[in-house]
Amino acid sequence: MNPTQLARGPLPADSLLGQYKPPAGVYDELVESDGTLRPQWREFLSLLDGLGGSELERRWDQARRLIHENGITYNVHGDPQGRDRRWELDALPLVLAHSEWSQLASGLEQRARLLNAILADLYGPQQLLAEGLLPAELVFAHPGFLRPCHGYNVPEDCHLHLYAAHLARSPEGNWWVVADRSQAAVGPGYAVENRIVISRMLPHIFHHCRVQRLAGFFIALREQLGELARRHREQPQIVLLSPGPSSMTYFEDAYLSRYLGYTLVEGEDLTVRDNRVFLKTLGGLMSVDAVLRRVMDDDCDPLELNTRSRVGVPGLVHAARSGNVVVANALGSGLVEAPALMAFLPEICRRLLGEELRVPSVRTWWCGDESSRRFVLSNLERLVVGPAFLSHTHRPVHAATLDRAERQQLAAEIEATPGRFVAQELVVRSTAPVWNDAALHPGHIALRAFVVASEDSYQLMPGALAHVSSSASNLGESLFVGHGSKDVWVLSDGPVAPVTLLQPPGTPLAPRRSGVDLPSRVADNLFWLGRHVERAEGTARLLRSVFSRLISEAAPGTMGELALLYRALCGPLSPPEGEVAGEGTVSTMELLVMEFLYDEHQPGSLQSILSGLGRVAKVVRDRISLDSWRILMRVDDDFRPKAGAVSPADVLAMLNQMILNFSAFAGVATENMTRGPGWQFLELGRRIERALILIGVLRSTLYHVSSSESAVLEALLEIADSSMTYRNRYATNLQLAPVLDLLLTDETNPRAIAFQLAALTGHVERLPRSPGEPLLSDEQRLVLAVLSAVRLADVQKLAEADEHGVRHELDALLQGGASKLRELASAVSHKYLVHAGPAHQLTEIRLG
Amino acid sequence: MRYAFVHTTHYSYSDAVPLCQNQVHLKPRDSDRQICHAHELAISPVPFKVDESRDFFGNPIHFFTLQDRHELLSITSRGEVELRELPSAAPDDTGPWEKVVGLPDGPDGMPLDVRQFVYDSPHVALSSELADYTRESFPPDRPWLAGVLELMSRIHQDFAYDPTATNISTPLETVLVLRRGVCQDFAHLQLGCLRSLGLPARYVSGYLRTTPPAGQPRLIGADASHAWVSAWCPEFGWIDFDPTNDVVPSQGHITVAWGRDYSDVCPINGVFIGGGEHSMKVAVDVEPIPS
Repeated sequence: MNPTQLARGPLPADSLLGQYKPPAGVYDELVESDGTLRPQWREFLSLLDGLGGSELERRWDQARRLIHENGITYNVHGDPQGRDRRWELDALPLVLAHSEWSQLASGLEQRARLLNAILADLYGPQQLLAEGLLPAELVFAHPGFLRPCHGYNVPEDCHLHLYAAHLARSPEGNWWVVADRSQAAVGPGYAVENRIVISRMLPHIFHHCRVQRLAGFFIALREQLGELARRHREQPQIVLLSPGPSSMTYFEDAYLSRYLGYTLVEGEDLTVRDNRVFLKTLGGLMSVDAVLRRVMDDDCDPLELNTRSRVGVPGLVHAARSGNVVVANALGSGLVEAPALMAFLPEICRRLLGEELRVPSVRTWWCGDESSRRFVLSNLERLVVGPAFLSHTHRPVHAATLDRAERQQLAAEIEATPGRFVAQELVVRSTAPVWNDAALHPGHIALRAFVVASEDSYQLMPGALAHVSSSASNLGESLFVGHGSKDVWVLSDGPVAPVTLLQPPGTPLAPRRSGVDLPSRVADNLFWLGRHVERAEGTARLLRSVFSRLISEAAPGTMGELALLYRALCGPLSPPEGEVAGEGTVSTMELLVMEFLYDEHQPGSLQSILSGLGRVAKVVRDRISLDSWRILMRVDDDFRPKAGAVSPADVLAMLNQMILNFSAFAGVATENMTRGPGWQFLELGRRIERALILIGVLRSTLYHVSSSESAVLEALLEIADSSMTYRNRYATNLQLAPVLDLLLTDETNPRAIAFQLAALTGHVERLPRSPGEPLLSDEQRLVLAVLSAVRLADVQKLAEADEHGVRHELDALLQGGASKLRELASAVSHKYLVHAGPAHQLTEIRLG
Repeated sequence: MRYAFVHTTHYSYSDAVPLCQNQVHLKPRDSDRQICHAHELAISPVPFKVDESRDFFGNPIHFFTLQDRHELLSITSRGEVELRELPSAAPDDTGPWEKVVGLPDGPDGMPLDVRQFVYDSPHVALSSELADYTRESFPPDRPWLAGVLELMSRIHQDFAYDPTATNISTPLETVLVLRRGVCQDFAHLQLGCLRSLGLPARYVSGYLRTTPPAGQPRLIGADASHAWVSAWCPEFGWIDFDPTNDVVPSQGHITVAWGRDYSDVCPINGVFIGGGEHSMKVAVDVEPIPS
């Protein structure tokens, strides 16, 4: 403890501590039972008082905006739309004393060593079973005991590289482990993100309180994996295997991969050949030396583990067995997550480590043991009963909350299959202050602490992820049940040295350029991001022309061009020859057009395009800049339909803002993105889509000679953002041929079709080529064909119509161009982006 | 008696398969009742490499990957197995079944490699319905072997052989209601019954001789891979039971592999990319070698 902290005077009368009253019977992190402040909080609270409640409130508002813009989200489980919910963070950190934390650190390091030793034994000689220290049922009946993973050498016998302990503090002030997470520890990324937000919000206080930094933990993880992977080769390739964007933890997967500098991959990005793991990239297959997996044990390999897994890598187990890849954590490590194991840990710890267990587990009885079962059945109402092995289908129940009949039912189930149940003491959790309504309120705390393998032992992250809830029940079981989280400050007993991941110690980095090692799937997603962004912008521009006409004074006189614009909105689904829908009054037109704004189910509606854009944006979140991401978040935020009736004027203002935002996105992409293959595929997507959209609009509006031709031309110039150029060139004299020149054949107009084609020519030329390919690739031929046709076109002739008022030549040119561009898109996909698709199982053999 | 066997599996795909990973249980394991004298695995197209090892249960296992585009895959496993005569046991030669259930863990009671076969497994979920069905054959104090034999006969009588009624993923509880299925279902059923009382039992996959000895009927399952169960008692160790044919195999049942259920010893397990539609053909031929 720092004596200067103790020497501080009493708190001011208007201290934020004010009316803080923790509930009786629990340990409070902030104040002792007589209401005095715990020493580790003194400095923090006096600095906070100095800041004042209203200033804290102001900064907190700002911080929440930052959270939103950074897009810290997690996927709400079971939401088919894949919509994200916002990460909830509390403004106040949980402050813990150095001495207390070092004690916990030594206990959790021991626990990680112990669990690792248990894994090494159970996936090896199984002495624990032979000696009766662990009942055989806890291994052989455990669905997480993966027999294919038994008996092969795990490098350095290190099964656990990263481990998370879920902790609670008892009323006496002792920490208890309530759950172990040994497959893929969820939360360290959120802990860093929380730290960034809170330390930015309270930089002064953070600095003065001497808070230990988190970066060292990640350096240790990187060194641990790097060390093992370097046995394969000097410059190893390490990937982070994620279950993908539909997973609850995708945000953290992307965040961690970026923070650690590992390539973020999904199962389909990897392939096993010659018993080695490879990453599929634009440039071909690249060897992978280590996999930090965020996929559950059983899902990692559909060949040898769960055959129904869609997120695994077929052959991964055998590659690991062959010693060709390090998988962290080792496959099968979920075995030690079983709550039933806790009942046996003290004995096993003595036997395997020759030590006493330092941090106790919550008291646990495994019902498969007869005397434990008798105890459980006669004390049922005091206990929490849950599955012995980790099961995602059954949640633990507090028997006291059951009625008599339910309790009897539970007892009968325990009697029938006792080995499947454990009972645990009800966990009472400590409380800590939460910032709510500009005051401190007590909230119940669950802690996730993270441990990483380091050289021969383990080290604890000097910080953690805390969860907070107004009720003590169910807390901490999942990150994702709608509770808030907290940053955790572990104070230092000396000066804090700055640590950063940006300049890791060790070998100097050789300069490298981003190249063909881009995973094909990422290139595919960027390609689609480009297409979606462009489609959204094009639709917004079209809608803007419609709405500006709907609210103008001359509205009733604009029905002719409005109907044509509406047809353009309907898109390729409505053939240009068809009847023009939506004839009638301005108000019926308004209703029709509204569907193209907010109706998710209307194909081509802005809502549906933005949803698609959101989905793609999320999966390339780690590949685009923070600014690009913020722009996309803003587009989405601005668009949400406001409550009540929406007026066309509001819509128009919203569309104007959205178009500006898309311009900003394009600007960031042009000015800030490295011209690597990623940018190239984004551009390919944008150029193809922009050309296709303009072609569609021209076909819908110009196929027939219209009675309101000049109004239509004016709208077209507006949509293509080319009114000013036209006026400069031709004053106010509106004619089709010069409009066509400007929108179709002018290669200097960035909105013209010819401009897109010229740009595409360049991008297609720079695509990776295999040496044996002919002089011109298929993609080059396709672009060249359209570009030549456009260059050779005579706009005067294109403007002419036949005796029925139909412009056949123009339409043929546009239609031909559109179909070649679609061919181009699919040719690019086939050649570079789609790698043979998903895996299937051979028909299972039916025996006689 | 010596037997020669050939087990061929053909896959054909409508589109080329660029990558196919496989893990197969095709080489007969050695045990106290059989020796595999010769074995050959012929794969076309020829894989880059074939790894042989043993699985958790000690069964021989092969891994191979096909990395070149192919539209056909054929796997042929052939070899010779010598079966030994086993001492026969009469139904009353064993102690009461409850004694088996109550054995303590350990080499003098129930060894760990037996104990592992009393629990749930992926295809065999224990239930009170299974226990109820089983108890009829296991009144108190009945000799273990008498109970297991009667259970086998009841399954044979109560369940109809019907290859169309079930598929590989039909759960045991459905089989119990349908009262029909194939050898796999009957093997899983008998496993579930025995385990639901706490009796250890394992799944055996293997072959039957194709043409029966003169004067005996041809057994069901002789033209494909077959499956039956093995149950354990302290007096005799593991004894095989074939509920599909209601026989205790003595001659003509060749063991390939054993495990907790089908999922542990599936003959050919593969994952491939592409391929479009695919179809499969299997042929098994087992004949005695005249001595």
